[in-house]
Amino acid sequence: MTTPTKAGAARPAPRAATGPTPPQRRGPGRLRLSTARPWLLLAPALAVLAVLLLWPLARVLLISFQDYGLREIVSGRSNYIGFANYAEVFADPALWTVVLPNTVGFAVAAVGGTVILGTLVALLLASLDRVWRTIVSSAVMVAWAMPAVTGTYVWIWIFDADRGIVNQFLQGVGLLDEPHNWFTDRWSFYAVVLVNIIHHGFPFVAITVLAGLLGVSKEMLEAATVDGAGAVRRFFSITFPTLRPVFAVVVILSTIWDFKVFAQIYLQPGGSGSNRSVFNLGVWSYVESFAQNRYGFGSAIAVLLTVLLLAISVVYVRTLFKEEK
Amino acid sequence: MKAPPAPSAPDAVRIPACRPRSRRARWTLAWKAAAVAALLLFTLFPTYWMISSAFDGRATGGAQSLFPAEPTLENFSYVLSEAGFGTFLRNSAIVAVSTVVLSGILALFAAVAVARFRFRFRTGILMLILIIQMVPLEALVIPLFIQVRDLQLLNSFLGLIIVYVAFSLPFAIWMLRGFVAAVPVELEEAAYIDGASWGRMFWSVLLPLVAPGLVATSVFAFIIAWNEFIFALTFMDSPATYTVAVGLQQFFGENSNEWGYVMAGSTLITLPVMIFFILVQRRLSGGLVSGAVKG
Repeated sequence: MTTPTKAGAARPAPRAATGPTPPQRRGPGRLRLSTARPWLLLAPALAVLAVLLLWPLARVLLISFQDYGLREIVSGRSNYIGFANYAEVFADPALWTVVLPNTVGFAVAAVGGTVILGTLVALLLASLDRVWRTIVSSAVMVAWAMPAVTGTYVWIWIFDADRGIVNQFLQGVGLLDEPHNWFTDRWSFYAVVLVNIIHHGFPFVAITVLAGLLGVSKEMLEAATVDGAGAVRRFFSITFPTLRPVFAVVVILSTIWDFKVFAQIYLQPGGSGSNRSVFNLGVWSYVESFAQNRYGFGSAIAVLLTVLLLAISVVYVRTLFKEEK
Repeated sequence: MKAPPAPSAPDAVRIPACRPRSRRARWTLAWKAAAVAALLLFTLFPTYWMISSAFDGRATGGAQSLFPAEPTLENFSYVLSEAGFGTFLRNSAIVAVSTVVLSGILALFAAVAVARFRFRFRTGILMLILIIQMVPLEALVIPLFIQVRDLQLLNSFLGLIIVYVAFSLPFAIWMLRGFVAAVPVELEEAAYIDGASWGRMFWSVLLPLVAPGLVATSVFAFIIAWNEFIFALTFMDSPATYTVAVGLQQFFGENSNEWGYVMAGSTLITLPVMIFFILVQRRLSGGLVSGAVKG
C-alpha cells in the first residue's frame, strides 16, 4: 500500500473522456448512452445510500432540535425546541465527568493497545519462518473472525463474578479471598472491554502492518545493521518512516472503531443502562432514546458522536488523498 | 541434532555457518518462542474456552475446569430444540443471504461505474462513499428506527435487510473497485472488437474476472449481516424474528446465566463466520489495502 499505482488516477478527468466504451460512438444517441451509463450503473447504489444513510443522517440532526418522544413518534408531528437538547447535553455534568472521559479515554487506550500489540505481532510474524508464520497468523485470524457479540459473551464468561475462570484462578492462587465482581467498578468494567477490543482489533493492525513490512527495503535494513544499528533503532529510523502511511490508516480507522464501541459495552452486566457510570456516547444515546423514549435528546448525543467521528474521518481522507499525489 | 540433509552445495555451506549460535541468538530465539506461546494463548484461549464450555455438561450448573468435565452435546441439543436457536439461525441466514445478493449486485454496478468510467463528479462520489463509510451507524439507529417503523417494517426481515445492504455497500463498492480496476482494459476492448455490446462484455468478460472479488465482498457483507447487533436488537422484538446475535440474550436470566447454553449458541454463531473468514482472509486483507489506496 505504499506505492500509488496509477499516477493522477484520482484527479477529476477532463470532461467525459470515458475509458473503454464501445467503439461505435457516432450518433448523438450513442454518445448520450455512454455518458449516462456510469450514472445508470450508480443509480441503485446511490439511491440506497441516499435513502438509508444520507437522509437518516439529516434526520437525526432534525430530530436533535426537537422534543421528540413517543407522542411524536406515533403522530409523526414535529416539535421543534431549538438548541434545548444540546444545552441539556452540554450542561449535564455526566457528559464531562463520565461519558466523554469514558469515550475518549477508552479510545486512546484501545487504539494505543491495538496498534502497539498489532505492530509487535507483525514484527514477530515477519521474523518467523514459514511454518510458524502460518500457524501464528492463522491463530490471529481466529481472533479476528470471532464476532463481536459472541466474543463479548465469552469475555463476560471468563470474568464472570460467580464462576468465571479468572476469579477461580485468582482464588486458587490465593490473590483473592472471595469472588470479585469485575463489572461493577467503572475501571475494571472498562478493563474487560479493553481486553475484548484489543483481542478483536489487533489482528487487523497486525495483518495490515505485516503487508507493509514486506515492502520495506531489505538493503536499507542490512546496511543499517552493518552500520551497527540495533533492532529498535532500525525500526524507528527505517521501518516506521516507510510505513508511516500504513500507520496513519490503521490508527485513524482504529480510532473511529473504538470511539463508537457499542455492543461490547451494552452487553456487559450493567452496560445496558443500570450502571450509568460506564456510559459512553453511543450507549448513552441509545439508552436515553430507547429506554427513556427521549429520542430528541438521544439524537443530540448521536450528532455529537457523529461530528467527532466525521472530524476524524476528514483527517483520514486527507491522509489517503495526500498519499496518492 | 540431526545432520542437515544438504540437498545442494550452497545449502551445505550455509547451514554449518549458522550452527554455532551465539548466546545472543539463543536469547532471541527463547524470547521469540515465549512471545509466540503468549500470543497463541491470548488469541486462541477465548475460542477454546467457548467451545470447551459449550461441550461441558457442568458449565451451566456447577464448577468449570479447564477441560470439559463431562463432555456432552446436551447444551447444543437444548439450545437448538427448546430454546429455538434453530429459528434464530434460519432468520439470520435469510437476512444475511438476502443482504449478500442485493449488496453484491448493487456494489458491482457501482464499482464498474467508478472504476471504468471517467465522468464528472467521479472523485466527488468516491469521496462521498469513503466519508459515508465513516458515518457511525450507531448514530443512525434513531432515525432508521423511526423510518422503518413508519414503513411498518419493524419485526420484518425486509427492514433489516435493506438497512444491512446500505451498511455493506460503501465498503463493498470501495473494495470491488480495486478488483474491477485490476481487469485489463485490453480484454474489454477485445470483446468490443469482436462485436460485443457493453452488456455482453459485462456478462461474458468482466463478471467472470471479477467473480473472486465478488466472493470476497459477499463474505464481508455476510459477516456484517450475520454479526450485526444494535439494529437487530432495536428492530426485532419477537422471538420469532430474532437473529442469532439478539437471540443469545435470552439465556441471561434474572439471577443466573446459563453459560453452557450461551457458549453453545455462541459456538453455533461463530463457526460459519470463522470458516468463511479463513476462506477469504487473504483476499480480504489484500483488497482492504489495495482498495484503500488505488486511485
